[in-house]
Amino acid sequence: MTRLASILQSLMIPVLAVLLSFIIGGGLIYLSGADPFLALNGLFMGAFGDLDAFSRTLEKATPLVFNGLALTLAFKAGLFNIGVQGQFLFGAIISAAVGCYVSGLPVPVHMAVAVFSGIVAGAVYGMIQGALKAYRGAHEVITGIMLNYVAINITDYWTKGPFMDTANSNSIPRTPLILESCQIPDIWGIPSGFLIAVLVSVVLWLFLKKTVTGFEIKTMGQGIHAARYAGIKINGMMIFIMGLSGGLAGIGGAVETMGVTHRFQPGFNLGLGFEGITIALLSRIHPVGVLPAALLLGGMKAGAGMMQFSSDIPTEIIDMMMAMILLFVAADKLMTRVLPVLKKKEKGLALSAGWGSK
Amino acid sequence: MMIKNALVMMAGFWSAMLWTVTACAFSVGLVTDVGVIDDKSFNQSVWEGVQAAGLNLKAKTKYIETRDAKDYSSNISLFAKNGYDVIVTVGFGLGEATRNAAAKYPEIKFIGVDQFQVSAMKNIAGLIFHEDQAGFQAGTLAALVTKSNIIASVFATDMIPPIVAFKNGFEKGARYINKDIRIISSYHPGGLDVAFTDPEWGASTARQAILQGADVIFGAGGLTGNGALVETASHKGRYCIGVDADQWLTVHSARPCLVSCALKKITPAVSGLVVMAFENRFPAGNYYGEVGLSSFHEFDKDIPEDIRKKLSVIEKELKEGRIRITE
Amino acid sequence: MNTSAKKIVYYFISGTLILSVFISYFFNAPVTIAVLSSAIRQSTPLVLGAMCGLIGERAGVINIGIEGQMLFGAFTGFIVSIWTGNLFLAVCAGMVSGLLLGLFLGFMAVSLHVDQIIAGTVINIAAVGVCGYFYPTGLSVSNKLQAMSIPFLSDIPLIGPLFFSNSPITMVTILLVFFLQFMLFRSTWGLRTRASGEHPEAAETLGLNVYTIRYSRLMAGGALAGLAGVFLSLEAVGTFERNMVNGRGFIALAVMIFGRWTPIGSWGAALLFALTSALQTQLQFSDTLHIPHQFTGMLPYLMTVFVIAVFMKRNNPPEALGMPFEKD
Repeated sequence: MTRLASILQSLMIPVLAVLLSFIIGGGLIYLSGADPFLALNGLFMGAFGDLDAFSRTLEKATPLVFNGLALTLAFKAGLFNIGVQGQFLFGAIISAAVGCYVSGLPVPVHMAVAVFSGIVAGAVYGMIQGALKAYRGAHEVITGIMLNYVAINITDYWTKGPFMDTANSNSIPRTPLILESCQIPDIWGIPSGFLIAVLVSVVLWLFLKKTVTGFEIKTMGQGIHAARYAGIKINGMMIFIMGLSGGLAGIGGAVETMGVTHRFQPGFNLGLGFEGITIALLSRIHPVGVLPAALLLGGMKAGAGMMQFSSDIPTEIIDMMMAMILLFVAADKLMTRVLPVLKKKEKGLALSAGWGSK
Repeated sequence: MMIKNALVMMAGFWSAMLWTVTACAFSVGLVTDVGVIDDKSFNQSVWEGVQAAGLNLKAKTKYIETRDAKDYSSNISLFAKNGYDVIVTVGFGLGEATRNAAAKYPEIKFIGVDQFQVSAMKNIAGLIFHEDQAGFQAGTLAALVTKSNIIASVFATDMIPPIVAFKNGFEKGARYINKDIRIISSYHPGGLDVAFTDPEWGASTARQAILQGADVIFGAGGLTGNGALVETASHKGRYCIGVDADQWLTVHSARPCLVSCALKKITPAVSGLVVMAFENRFPAGNYYGEVGLSSFHEFDKDIPEDIRKKLSVIEKELKEGRIRITE
Repeated sequence: MNTSAKKIVYYFISGTLILSVFISYFFNAPVTIAVLSSAIRQSTPLVLGAMCGLIGERAGVINIGIEGQMLFGAFTGFIVSIWTGNLFLAVCAGMVSGLLLGLFLGFMAVSLHVDQIIAGTVINIAAVGVCGYFYPTGLSVSNKLQAMSIPFLSDIPLIGPLFFSNSPITMVTILLVFFLQFMLFRSTWGLRTRASGEHPEAAETLGLNVYTIRYSRLMAGGALAGLAGVFLSLEAVGTFERNMVNGRGFIALAVMIFGRWTPIGSWGAALLFALTSALQTQLQFSDTLHIPHQFTGMLPYLMTVFVIAVFMKRNNPPEALGMPFEKD
């Protein structure tokens, strides 16, 4: 019972943060001369109004969950995997290539092969960063930012070159549609990619909580010196974590290709990496917390079109509300001061300790 | 319970409002590609065409800016579900989503700008342009007014077929006038997310070209191209050539150099198509819009008669197919 | 590699670079000047952003909100320029807006102890939201800062056109690099900054107020990021577009780490990045080579990864970076 109470208590702040942000956002809409109820109603209907809307919310949340998990894992070990965008792209394009150019496999095998190659692609790209950090001391933030750009250019080139769809005199750079044996189906209108995302996040949570490796990862998050003292082989561990993190982003790319876009088209997957940062931070670096965070942002992205349609409000209001939510969730000191009911128990989140690691 | 009631009421109010919209007037919706409506070139021209038609027909007009390429279909269906009569989708990226929607909503007419139709559907008009011809004319103009025999062009990306066509036409046109002309051209080095929205890159590339002697700059590619135009304007004695719309009217700060623009006459074509849809004489399949050079505005006096003559001859020959532009 | 061998390698590389500049100037002066001055121009927002980051980080606060600060500075500068028509006021307003975001970052990171990565992310998202939401569509007219030449100095071959015939912010930035280098390592101001980033507890026992130091450094840095934004909107382009910063704030972050948290180092890193970027444009300009632009476009990024992987073994970030400081 106390456990339940403490869970409820820890849910209070996020819920209040969301409410507060919507109130302030509504005020802004009102000030700019539009009807806030109409706008927020549009946002809500566009995200959860009917099965169609809800399934779009889930579709948008799915890649955010995977990218959020990738960042969460790395943050747990004190690494800032800002290169998630690139790893996601590689996962997406490789699984698309496997999905459309490998044929003759039975459905489950084809799917498994495509997902697996997406994982490998993302993991390898992540491991490059890990290895550069482990052996050359190259800060993962620099290499991550740089390799993101490299990934965009390589995938662009591939979709214009070797992987391009040339059927029907198509002149648009993109891969062909993946074969039906490789498309993840919807179950009763619910995109099953999201179910995979839920599964992966629970597995990751158990992995971090129950296994020795999970414990070692968290020890690394306490600081390199502590980890070395505990006998952890830092270099190997760094490469492993970045690989695992890249692999998570890679599944995200694969699921996105196989479940939503059904092909790789440049420009379709951009920005998801940076949104993954938001998701990981919003979840307070918790693998299961990533799910509601992704649903929230996914819902706001899904409802944006209908909000603009019904009230002519620029969709950037969503970014403002998102920033406020993130701030209120993180600034528990502020929240507890405003509302003393929320007595602060745990220590504030500090994940930037790994930034200055040498 | 109260919340639920309130929601139901709101939803009811909302659909009632939409119902009034549908019942009252002819309505036209526009879905942009990922980007902003006032890009001072492409999206903006389409929107102006829609608005012109709306004014003309007393129709209701509305747009949605797409934030995420995966929302193409859902943004189109927002208009479709709410009973819009004509839906304009902008950019070849929306081609597939538009065709799918057209199959799903046969009573709605779709105008797909820059969307080549491989096979005709009776409720889609693919509005396309011979960008290579527009580029060709820009290239000939550039080659005719250059003094240094070095001309430059700043493009957004080769991931977009119309841009590639502009480039091809521009280079062929310049070489048509002067075989030995030096053309220095460059694409934005980044991906689609930045290629059209990086005015500073356009500007610094234009400057790099000007410093090595280029005296005519062709900027084609949304805000990136606009950056090149504006930069050229601050170098004396250089010309710049804009793209898509008559940018004399939209990019004011480029006026000191803007000699002309390689026009895709989007605005009249879009408003014409909307009117045709209204009058039930909608053309299915591909509909070619006009291309050409815009007027020279204040540079009118700088362009001598013989250049004008040459340009109009070339324009005629392009139209009649006597000049063919190879890929 | 031991230190002296490393030094020899550095001297060798920089010597080769400088020599190749002169050789190429001898063979093709206009192209050399075009490429180098393009490099200097492109490095300006990067080095300003990097200096914003490093002032804060030297004082112990990570700032990944540079991108947002730049965007907001560009936006405010543009709006004020439209309202008043006065470019000087507009530049000041852009800097002030960056400074205010620095203050906000300080409020979150220093007073509220919000995790610093989150605080920066909040600024990035909020800036996109605010600039997009309040962006008045249809405004395009704006003046921009024009290039000027400093008499006599601008007549020196090679050096003159590169450094002394430029737009004002570009020239001021180069001065700022050296000024900040001096301030950080040769003045009490810098000593205090570094003390609060390396050993805040010790600084506090010596009677310094770590909070005040961190706040003021973040504000100073914010002003620089605002200046970088103003460079984009009022000097480089003369107009504002909603995503005109285009990741330059994040590149600046990388440049700062690459430059080992020093102004001159960051300047070097930014110049190297920008030079590679200008060279890739020049590669595209050449009509004999036909490399897909996706490959030439990767060069600046690959170059950066290559250089840090091969030549830099260690980073030297401030000791207490990222740690919120709790007063007793």
